[in-house]
Amino acid sequence: MNILDFDKVSFSYEKDRSFIRDLSLSMKNREFIGLLGANGSGKSTILKLASGILKSAQGKINLWGKEIDSYGHRDRAKLLSYLPQLLDVSIPFTVKEFVSMGQYPYDAKPELTVEDAIEMVGLTDYTKSFITNLSGGERRRVYIAMTLLQGAGLVLLDEPLANLDIKYQIELLRLLKELREKRDITVLMALHDINIASQFDRLLLIKEGRMLGSGTPHEILTKKMLNNAFDIDIEMQHEETGGIYIRY
Amino acid sequence: MKLKLICIAIVALMIFIVTLFIGPRLISPFGMTGIEKQILFSIRLPRVIISVLMGMALGASGAVLQGILRNPLADPYILGISSGAALVAAAGIITGVSFFGVFTIPVLAFTGALITGIFVGAMGWKRGGFWPDRLLLAGVGLGFLFSALLMLIMSLSSNEGLKRATLWIFGDLSIADWSLIPYGFIFIVVGLGISMFRSKALNSLILGDDLSHSLGFSPKKERFILFISVGLMTAASVSLGGMIGFIGLLVPHIGRFMIGSDSRILIPVSALGGGVLLCIADLIGKSVLSPMELPAGIITAILGAPYFLYILRKKDVLSF
Repeated sequence: MNILDFDKVSFSYEKDRSFIRDLSLSMKNREFIGLLGANGSGKSTILKLASGILKSAQGKINLWGKEIDSYGHRDRAKLLSYLPQLLDVSIPFTVKEFVSMGQYPYDAKPELTVEDAIEMVGLTDYTKSFITNLSGGERRRVYIAMTLLQGAGLVLLDEPLANLDIKYQIELLRLLKELREKRDITVLMALHDINIASQFDRLLLIKEGRMLGSGTPHEILTKKMLNNAFDIDIEMQHEETGGIYIRY
Repeated sequence: MKLKLICIAIVALMIFIVTLFIGPRLISPFGMTGIEKQILFSIRLPRVIISVLMGMALGASGAVLQGILRNPLADPYILGISSGAALVAAAGIITGVSFFGVFTIPVLAFTGALITGIFVGAMGWKRGGFWPDRLLLAGVGLGFLFSALLMLIMSLSSNEGLKRATLWIFGDLSIADWSLIPYGFIFIVVGLGISMFRSKALNSLILGDDLSHSLGFSPKKERFILFISVGLMTAASVSLGGMIGFIGLLVPHIGRFMIGSDSRILIPVSALGGGVLLCIADLIGKSVLSPMELPAGIITAILGAPYFLYILRKKDVLSF
């Protein structure tokens, strides 16, 4: 069974102007999928539709074979977690208070403890620090720890690597892949760093709310595909070792 | 944390009890005279209960509003509810109406608060839910209008009601009476109960609507429920004894400094803190220049603001 299915989904923010058009996609258990596209192409909107925050105007969105709106809020939160791109909080929660909110969908304490989740993102020394006093990258890691604690099988992440230095970008990708092995999670992540994109099982290339292509990084990260998606003339270099690099 | 909470509750209870016995006239709990018993049970006890209820309502409302509006500068008066209450009540005091006897001013204030709350709610409603910025702007805009109308009424008035209206606007607990307590108690306890019951949802709303949704809540529904709880508490508080400044804005921040930002603990602590502060402020207000009484709202600000500025300087707990 597919974890997530979009069947000819359309959505518009304004009347008479479709933003997402006839989009179909499906995700299988344990897939690690990157959503790639230019700014304003519709990546964040697709994630919000997948999370149930936005409602499609046409078409169906199914989560584990059932229409997403048929789930109660708490039941949905046990299956799916979503981390938005813009993260801001003006009330000074401590890191521990903040991360522990990941337990809210559950009555009993989940398997993973708050301390484990904080340790996973390397912030054990900051457990009692106020989130408002942390740097942008540290704050993002706090949000990721909360998402991990939520323990949902499908994790939707909107540009989670933004503001993270290369060490934490790589560590986060490794952590997500490790969780896939240990806990069978499925990841859909919006991103715009093409060098990072080669780390995914599958890439979905989006342009103006439509699917331009879906395939492995080698199939999608080509000169033709990217020039079309980003409206810019760039060269791609595919190495025998599997690395894919952008040249401009 | 539990020990800290129990200590705060015990200290609050002790302060409530002590304020019963001290004042312009010291009463010994051992061997009270008939007059002292009468002062204690007919004047002081209802007044302490009302100041505790009002302080609890304002402290808790502030903690809830700062969360649902995602704005650390929000307080229960920012939604214009108190300005609406003050306008209607002051008009009643100045014109000397007395439809409901001792209940006239509280009923007028509650009506003004309720109508304003519904109006602000309607203005802040869009696409099936409250929008924090719209609520805030509607409240501020309406608050300015009502304050201007209030000033207009007061500047045109020259009768004896003017001084009473001015006192009431700054928090007048001298009208405290047993008969008011059950009504205020019901609205404040219901409002406090709702906000404590929905405190997890409030925590999630502070993170933003998208994350609140992801954590398993309906942000529009939760914001609506919490807005109703704040409306009930603020309207009941204003109708019991006028407008008391400072508590709703700053007591939640002092609470955060003491026990953290988790609304599940912050709401009861802000309620207790608000009750304690108003109790002490009222005691000082009625004692220092006795027999003249100073409005409690002025004392809360004079007492609380320096302490708040001290913790602002000492602890890097606030983000603004």
